[in-house]
Amino acid sequence: MFYRLSGVYHTNYISDSRIYKVPADRNLALTFLILGVAAPFIAPSLYVNSYMLPWLIWTSAALGLNLVTGWAGQLHLGYAAVMAVGAYSAIHAARFGVPWEFALIIGGLSASVIGSLFAFAALRAKGLYLALTTLAMQFIMDWVLTHSPAISGGSHASLQAPTLKLLGQEITSDTGLYYVALAWCLLVTIFMLNLKRTGLGRALVAVREKDYAAAILGVYSFYYKIVAFAMSSFIGGVSGALLVATFFFLAAPEQFSVAVSIQALAMVIVGGLGSIIGSYFGVALILLVPGLVNGVVVAASEQLGMQLNVETLAHIPNAVYGALIVIILIIEPLGLGKLYGNIRDYLMVWPFDQLRK
Amino acid sequence: MKLLSSAAFISTIVFGMAMSIPAAALAEPFRVGVCYDLSKAYTFATPQVAQAAKDLAALVNRKGGIGGEPVEVIVRDHGNEPQRGVECYEQLSREGVFVFDTLSTPVSLAVLPRAMEDGRVLMQSLVGRGDAVDGTVFDWVYPIGPTYWGQAANDIAYIKQLHDGDLSNVKVGFVYFDYPFGQEPIEILKTLSEKEGFELLLYPVPLPGNDQSGVWSKIRRDKPDQIVVWMLGGAHVVASKEMKRNGIPMDKYISVNWLNEVDIANIGAKNAIGIKRGTNVVGGQDIPLYKEIMAELYDKGNGNGPIEKTQDVFYNTGLAMYSIMFEAARKAVELQGLPITPDSYRAGLESLRGFDANGLMAPITVTAQDHGGGGATRIEMWDGTAWVPQTDWLSEYSDQVWAVVKESSSKFGK
Repeated sequence: MFYRLSGVYHTNYISDSRIYKVPADRNLALTFLILGVAAPFIAPSLYVNSYMLPWLIWTSAALGLNLVTGWAGQLHLGYAAVMAVGAYSAIHAARFGVPWEFALIIGGLSASVIGSLFAFAALRAKGLYLALTTLAMQFIMDWVLTHSPAISGGSHASLQAPTLKLLGQEITSDTGLYYVALAWCLLVTIFMLNLKRTGLGRALVAVREKDYAAAILGVYSFYYKIVAFAMSSFIGGVSGALLVATFFFLAAPEQFSVAVSIQALAMVIVGGLGSIIGSYFGVALILLVPGLVNGVVVAASEQLGMQLNVETLAHIPNAVYGALIVIILIIEPLGLGKLYGNIRDYLMVWPFDQLRK
Repeated sequence: MKLLSSAAFISTIVFGMAMSIPAAALAEPFRVGVCYDLSKAYTFATPQVAQAAKDLAALVNRKGGIGGEPVEVIVRDHGNEPQRGVECYEQLSREGVFVFDTLSTPVSLAVLPRAMEDGRVLMQSLVGRGDAVDGTVFDWVYPIGPTYWGQAANDIAYIKQLHDGDLSNVKVGFVYFDYPFGQEPIEILKTLSEKEGFELLLYPVPLPGNDQSGVWSKIRRDKPDQIVVWMLGGAHVVASKEMKRNGIPMDKYISVNWLNEVDIANIGAKNAIGIKRGTNVVGGQDIPLYKEIMAELYDKGNGNGPIEKTQDVFYNTGLAMYSIMFEAARKAVELQGLPITPDSYRAGLESLRGFDANGLMAPITVTAQDHGGGGATRIEMWDGTAWVPQTDWLSEYSDQVWAVVKESSSKFGK
């Protein structure tokens, strides 16, 4: 009923390859877009600058990882390293005096070069072997960052980002920074939505399903894997740079450690491999739920007057959060994106499907 | 049924979120935002420090608070994730908290630019960037206590005392975690090695420090006279085993301040005899403030946690950190009256002169230039049952230390 299908039929290929075939989907996306644009005026500033902003940037990063892992099927355990390359090269470029617009692109390109360089070596290996090679990239990057003060910014290993300045405008307000993050996230989302319906996107899916079957069909899998790594690293690099420019204001190695790589992969897996809306959900769960659960547990224990030890109080949210991930993956192994898909499918013909019973 | 249970689930969340909005406080307490890592990397110290903070706040409140107002420490977990640390900072700072303590280097680094921008006081004893002691650059950051540079310099001063003032034929080994925490003192050690003429031998230990066999057999061959160690927690235990295997006496081991009674117990109280550590607080329980807390809280069953946790030098560290914070608040009220504002609190901090919390720690004197309070430490030795001080409070080589500080802080903001 909500996702009304009546009147939706295609008479030509252009209409068949539209992004939103069901009007309800388009309207829903538009509603959320409007909410996103209006957020700084309707939501408390705390939510905008410490929940929504990192959420949007991490979503763009997760979409990039989803491109290589969800679409092209290549397990990537070193995504934080790629983001670090982007962040550090963009900041160094900006500190050198390059305008931020170009610094971000430099960050993306250098991440892209290093990311695909590793892919070159790595793509002779497949599956778990590839995963370990990308993990090695992560460790190499960690080592480089902690051992080269010239890159990481002195003996404290913290590198300050100059004030973000786009189109001649210094961006310092919470609202401004939020819009930068929103714009980048939208750009990546639109790119990913369109990727789905291009030849490139279909080739990536063919490579994912079976690379030698793809080769028989005339899809040169090696080339497409490199392209996937390069594109995803570009997105990751720019996202990393923006994360520092709009949220942390300085880069430190811990922001891009191996734990962060694992988290990024968890975002994609919990969200759903190859699902765009899933990436949004997955990032929300991995990034925001620990803090929220923490707040809820602390508040609940205060309200109930429980004298809990601070340590216990810190570990309960972790247990809840872990349980939440397990429960979600048991209910729907394909992730939160599929969970949403199930609800949508159910509502597609509801309540008319009840009549048959 | 499924629908019902999910509705119940959602309502729990909504209810929980509604509850997390705090009720309006009646009195206006002096609040400290304690955003700590209570669940990941820093758990070797944070529970003790947090407990000390809560106990001390309870004690202050029993004695009538500060200027008649109660004090409150708000403890939150950030799991050592910079993103959650920022979230904690942003949330509490919107609730009116203007004094923060993170006790985590990554989170401290992430919060620092915001605190500087928003005008919030960031206390970062023993963590974060050491050059923040330079108050002329970091006007909102107070790393009261020794920097790792100052602490390493004091260790060298102690070694100089051991060798009768002549270091020219001395070899000093430096065993450190091979990441920024451990690498930080290298620069000052190199400077001092040139000045004093001792030979500096570097032994990096890969994280997490479980495998040190290569390092210690190399030390056996190199035979350094003293070994300065910049490691944490379990790595001390591994080191002690390797030292025993290689026949290196325990009294050559001079640890950074992060060595506590738990580590001693794991090494074995007997085996650990002779082990030394640099410290800015007095170890053990023979301290007036500690006894007062025992009498007022724990003996009456009002402690904020298990009593075992108080018998730990990191508990004393926590008492020292929070004594400074509350004393500064008291000074602020004395100087500029209630309510305490960020500016009056800074004035309070910068009026601390020779404050040692009644024999708990090295006396500190904070000025607008020196936000570190002087950075004095001393060396204590474990004698099998207690920590025995080996030196007075030292604050040596301050010219060299400040040269390193200035060199680093001058790059900030450029």
